[in-house]
Amino acid sequence: MSGAMQTVLAPPAGPARRAVRDPLVAGLVGLCLAVAVGLLVARPAPYLVNALGQLAAFAILAVSLDLVWGYLGILSLGHGLFFAIGGYVCAMHLLSHGVAVTGVLPDFVQFMGWKSLPAYWAGLDHPAYALVLALALAGLVAFLFGLASFRSRVNGVYFSIISQALVYVAMLLMYRNDTGLGGNNGMTGFPLLFGWPMGSPGVATGLAVAALVALAVVLAGTRLLVGSAVGRRMLACRDDETRLRTLGYSTTRLKLGIWCLSAMIAALAGILYVPQVGIINPRVLAPDLSIEIAVWVAIGGLGRLGGAVIGAVLVNGLKFWLSAAMPEAWPFILSGLVLVVVLVLPNGLLDLVALRPRPTWLRSSR
Amino acid sequence: MPVLRAVLVLVCLALVPAPAAAASLDRVGFVAGLCDDAAAQVRAAEGLIQSAGEVPADDLAFAAGLLGALAERRLACPADGALLLDRPGASEGRDALTGLARATPDARVPVLGLRQRAAVETARGVTALLTGPDPAARAAGLAAAERRIATVPAAVLDRARDAESDAGLKERITGLAQAAALSSPDPVRRRAAIAAVAAHPSGAAQARLAALKGDPAYAADHAFRAALDAGLATVSRAVAVGDGLAVVYNGLSFASILFMAAAGLAIIFGLMGVINLAQGEFIMLGAYATYGVQEAFRRLAPGLLDLYLVAAIPVAFCAVALVGIVVEALILRHLYRRPLMSLLATWAVSLFLVNLVRVTVGTQNLQFVMPAYVSGGVPLYADFVVTWNRLFAIGFAAATLVLTLLILRRTPLGLDIRAVTQNRDMAACLGLPTRRVDRLAFGLGSGIAGLAGVALCPIYSVNPGMGSGFIVDSFMVVVLGGVGSLLGTLVAALGIGGANVLIEPVSGAVAAKVIVLVGIILFLQRRPEGLFAVRRRR
Repeated sequence: MSGAMQTVLAPPAGPARRAVRDPLVAGLVGLCLAVAVGLLVARPAPYLVNALGQLAAFAILAVSLDLVWGYLGILSLGHGLFFAIGGYVCAMHLLSHGVAVTGVLPDFVQFMGWKSLPAYWAGLDHPAYALVLALALAGLVAFLFGLASFRSRVNGVYFSIISQALVYVAMLLMYRNDTGLGGNNGMTGFPLLFGWPMGSPGVATGLAVAALVALAVVLAGTRLLVGSAVGRRMLACRDDETRLRTLGYSTTRLKLGIWCLSAMIAALAGILYVPQVGIINPRVLAPDLSIEIAVWVAIGGLGRLGGAVIGAVLVNGLKFWLSAAMPEAWPFILSGLVLVVVLVLPNGLLDLVALRPRPTWLRSSR
Repeated sequence: MPVLRAVLVLVCLALVPAPAAAASLDRVGFVAGLCDDAAAQVRAAEGLIQSAGEVPADDLAFAAGLLGALAERRLACPADGALLLDRPGASEGRDALTGLARATPDARVPVLGLRQRAAVETARGVTALLTGPDPAARAAGLAAAERRIATVPAAVLDRARDAESDAGLKERITGLAQAAALSSPDPVRRRAAIAAVAAHPSGAAQARLAALKGDPAYAADHAFRAALDAGLATVSRAVAVGDGLAVVYNGLSFASILFMAAAGLAIIFGLMGVINLAQGEFIMLGAYATYGVQEAFRRLAPGLLDLYLVAAIPVAFCAVALVGIVVEALILRHLYRRPLMSLLATWAVSLFLVNLVRVTVGTQNLQFVMPAYVSGGVPLYADFVVTWNRLFAIGFAAATLVLTLLILRRTPLGLDIRAVTQNRDMAACLGLPTRRVDRLAFGLGSGIAGLAGVALCPIYSVNPGMGSGFIVDSFMVVVLGGVGSLLGTLVAALGIGGANVLIEPVSGAVAAKVIVLVGIILFLQRRPEGLFAVRRRR
């Protein structure tokens, strides 16, 4: 928690300057942008490009959870829901875009025996509308759920398990075939992205670069947020909500706002993730997956935005590698990793690398 | 047409003097009929069918031999009597009546036309049904008779049913007899059949009676209409009551499983504020311990194999309680100040346990021997069947509830647990070893999960992933019931189980879950602490 304490006690200064003084976030933002440029220049092997892009999407997801868990003390075990909302809307956009260009209906629509896409898909072939819809939908679901929970002061583990039930129910719902969203097979076979064929190397690079840039923007933006006055209030709410409320702040409004923002960031991650893997199905809504997001954050370092990124990249990188190399051993390694981190390194792997004293060039002049 | 012919046959039967029907078969006349022209053949065959209910068995066997020979073109008809040939076209055969061997100089071999064949096949079916040596032969006879069931009198089916030893076949014959009586041309018999069907209400009986509403007699015959309406009303009411009982029973069994899964969680959560995500895996371990006990019995005492479920109860409880205590001592002990981290830690434990079992035992479903006391059931009313395996689970849950309440209310450990749950600091000040209480309570909660595993063996498929199906539902039970209250857990389990079972038939299983979750969230708006909140200081 010392990192968080330092943020609280840091002397008042412009939010931008404080952000620069967080060497971890600044370094990661720089790294993201550098890798993005590198991808554009060097054109490495396609699988590497794809893996980097996916890792960036997961990192955005981890940041979104760290924002509410690390800075507000709200552990959501249902963030997979918002990720899936982004992913599903993105898949709907890709498919209806494909129908608009090629005229061929997707497999699952033909499988259900329908002659056209369901009516509520109308207009989704416009990317701007799809983007707004995905974010608005995630925000709306988060708002309703958050309003119901925060208003009645459901918090702590209660909130965690209710959010887990939420994602579980959503999974059951999406497994049905009559929702018009592909049922248990989900949606796949996206033909085109903005008119370009989906499998081409240019599109893969473009997607990965977009994900990396989005990660950089999200990281910088959330860092500005947690460094601002609102960020102070978030930490105060996490550490003693009753006292903050007594001081006259509306903690419900604060929590609701950040919660909705976090949901929209998670939806953004889903939007970036789906075109890179080429499929979305109800398995992203499995409660286990939502817990795994929390695991990334806990392993990387709770309450440090950079820690969330490191955790997501590390765990998923290991997973990419090990679930191919020794699939039997991966669950044991993951559970061992979690136990070690939880028991020995309460602030995650960042405890291993003590980043203080800070490098002189990043130190405040004051 | 068939109805008309059946009426004709009945009229003929009524005209024939009674002794002819009661007496044995007129063998000479029967043989002569089969060797005569087409009309006489049909008369002979249908006459046999009509009288088959009373004719002695040896006559039936005699007729069966002749009919079989006729159908297979092995019946030769010289001027005097008839000959049975061994194969079609043989030059020599045995006399049908005397059994003596005779030559067949240019004897006529009758060929069956379509109309005669139908009658002969039905007659053969009837004889096979009544005299067939094994259930398969009799079932084949029944199938043949069923094709023209309108010509088969009720006495034949009654005789076949009374003589039948095979239970499945007997049921088929009964159903067929009822159906035949329901469509019989005799109005009195039909009304009696309706009353007979209504006397044993079931979904099938209801469908059978409802189908009769389209019958022309329903519009024409007032007595028939009244009888059918009355019978249908009786059956419908009974079926509705039976279905209601089945819903209650299923809800109760689902609720008892939810309660078993949630009771341990409620104790642990109430005492320590720890969300044990590994509880589902503890249930799985309990089921695997049961399997281990079964295998041990199979090796060491095969004669007592039926008792393994009983023997597994203490084994599963102790084994899983031990696992729980180890987990508490190694991991959770360090995390009491950080409940969200303990949640992740128990998730890691669950991941570890699932994969440990997967690697060491395998992913397949375990095969359990089902002792007599948990297999089958007894039909109680209409379509409602009390199945023993669900009754076992319900009884098991009730026993667990009583035992846990006794432990919590009547033992020193229970007193300690309640004291620490209500005010941990004060309990510690008074000298209670709160850490040891935590550990024992965690063992108790885990052991209850192990018991749930035993109760699930006869109902669910047991595999490494079985635990994940319970965790969300059982947490909903804990949240709704209120932390640390066993009574609340019970009420919430009954409520959620009942709601699920009630909503499911109306709007599907998924909608039921959605509605229940939304209901819980809305309920928590009014009472964030759950149904029965324990007053406490933290």
